[in-house]
Amino acid sequence: MGNFIYALELMGIGMGTVFVVLILVIELGKALIAIVNKIAPEEEKPQPKAATPAAVMPNVAQAIAQAVNVITGGKGKVDKIEKQ
Amino acid sequence: MENVFEKIYQMTAFSDIIADPRFLIMYALAFLLLYLGIKKEFEPLLLVPIAFGVLIANFPGGGMGVLGADGDGLVHYMKDGVMVAKNVYEMPLPEIAHDLGLMNYIYYALIKSGLLPPIIFMGVGALTDFGPMLRNLKLAIFGAGAQFGIFAVLLVASQFFTMQEAGSLAIIGGADGPTAIFTTLKLAPHLLGPIAIAAYSYMALVPVIIPLVVKLTCRKKELMINMKEQDKLYPNKQEFKNMRVLKIVFPIAVTTIVAIIVPDAVALVGMLMFGNLLKEIGANTSRLFDAASNGIMNAATIFLGLSVGATMTVEAFLNWTTIGIVAGGFLAFGFSIFGGIMLVKIMNLFTKKKINPLVGATGLSAVPMASRVANDIALKYDPKNHVLNYCMSSNVAGVIGSAVAAGILISFLG
Repeated sequence: MGNFIYALELMGIGMGTVFVVLILVIELGKALIAIVNKIAPEEEKPQPKAATPAAVMPNVAQAIAQAVNVITGGKGKVDKIEKQ
Repeated sequence: MENVFEKIYQMTAFSDIIADPRFLIMYALAFLLLYLGIKKEFEPLLLVPIAFGVLIANFPGGGMGVLGADGDGLVHYMKDGVMVAKNVYEMPLPEIAHDLGLMNYIYYALIKSGLLPPIIFMGVGALTDFGPMLRNLKLAIFGAGAQFGIFAVLLVASQFFTMQEAGSLAIIGGADGPTAIFTTLKLAPHLLGPIAIAAYSYMALVPVIIPLVVKLTCRKKELMINMKEQDKLYPNKQEFKNMRVLKIVFPIAVTTIVAIIVPDAVALVGMLMFGNLLKEIGANTSRLFDAASNGIMNAATIFLGLSVGATMTVEAFLNWTTIGIVAGGFLAFGFSIFGGIMLVKIMNLFTKKKINPLVGATGLSAVPMASRVANDIALKYDPKNHVLNYCMSSNVAGVIGSAVAAGILISFLG
C-alpha cells in the first residue's frame, strides 16, 4: 500500500513536471520567435544574376543559388553560372 | 575411441544444451527477433544486433553472455575451476575482459557506465527537425499527455515489483529505446535485457498498436477533423522572419531550461539538443554533424544492440519478471497513446479550433514512425487530410517529454 501511495505521488509530480516543462518549452519557443523576428529578421537576398537568361533558366539559377546558400551557410554567392 | 567421442561431446555445446533445454527457447527467441528484423523490417537497425546478441550469448561455454551483478555489485563466475565472486565495479577493465570475456567488457565499459544511450540521443538529435514543432508550438503539449502511460503503469507495477523495477518497466511507455535503457541502468540494471527488448519490440509494433488504440477510443467524425481546414478557419498568426537563427537558438534555450528544472534529464536532453545544434548550425559544423548522425551513432548502435541482447541469458530472461515486463510494457505503450488522445478530446471541448485526436496519439517519442502511421490513418478516413506535420510537433515534443519523465523517475527512485 505504501508503494501505491508513493507511486500515486510520483504520478502527480511526474505528469505535473512534464506538463510544466513542455509549457515552458512552448512559451520559450514563442518568446524566441518574437525575439528573433525583432533582432535578427532574415535579410532580403538579392536575386542571383544568371549569366545569360538564354543559357540558364531562372528557376535553375535560383535552385543553384539556394543550394550554394545552404552548403556555405549563407556565406557564398553565385555571381556567374556558365555551361561547359 | 569411445573416450575421444566422449571428449568431443563434452567440448561442444551439445552436453550443456541437452542438460538445460531452456537454451533452445532462447535460440527460438533469437531466430524470431532476427526474422522480425530482417524479413518484416521491424526496426532492423536495432532488432538485428539485439537478436544476434541474444543468440551468441546463449551458447554454453562461449562466454559471450553478460553476467549481471547482484545488489552488492558482485558477479559470480568460474575461474581456474573455482567459483569466485568479485565486485565488478572494482574490477579493472582489462580484468573484466580477461576473466569475463569480450561482451562483458563492452557492456561494463560502454553500457553500464551509461555512455551509449546519451551518445545515441546525440545522433537522434542530429536527425531531428524541430521545424514542425516550432511551426505548431501549441500541439507540443500533447507530448506531455502521452507520458500518461509511464506513470499509470508505475502505479500498477508498484504492486508487483520494487519501485525501482516498476519505474524501469513504466518507462517503456515513453516509446524511446535509449531513454528506457538509460533509466533501467540507473534503477534496475538486472532487468536491462527484457526491458530493452520490450521497448524496441513495441516501438517496432507502433503501426499495429496506434491503430488499435485509436480504433478503441476515437469516433470517425473526430478522425476526419481536417487540420489544414481548421488552420484556414482559425489561422495561426505566428510569423517567422528567420527560421534558421530560431532553430539554432532553440536547442540552446531548451537545454538551459530543462537543465535547471530536471537536472537528471540533462544527459539525455542535453545530448539530444547538442546533436540538433550541430545540424542546425550548418556548414561550419557539418563534419561534426556527419560524425554524430552517422559514424558515432552507427558504432554506438552496434555495441548497444549486441551487448543489450547479450544480457538476455537463460537465467536472466526465462522467469516471471520478464513476462510481467512484456505485459506491463504493452500496457504502458497503450496508456501513453490513450493519454495523448484523451488530452486532445478534453481540449476540443473548450476550443473552437478542433484538433484531430491522432495528433495526441503521436505524443509518443517513436519519431517519425508514429507520425507516419497517424498520417496513414487520417488519409484512410479522408484522402485530403494530411496530418503529418501536425503530428510531428507532438511527436518531437514526446522525445523531450519522455526524457523529462525519465529524469523524474531517476531523481526520485535512483
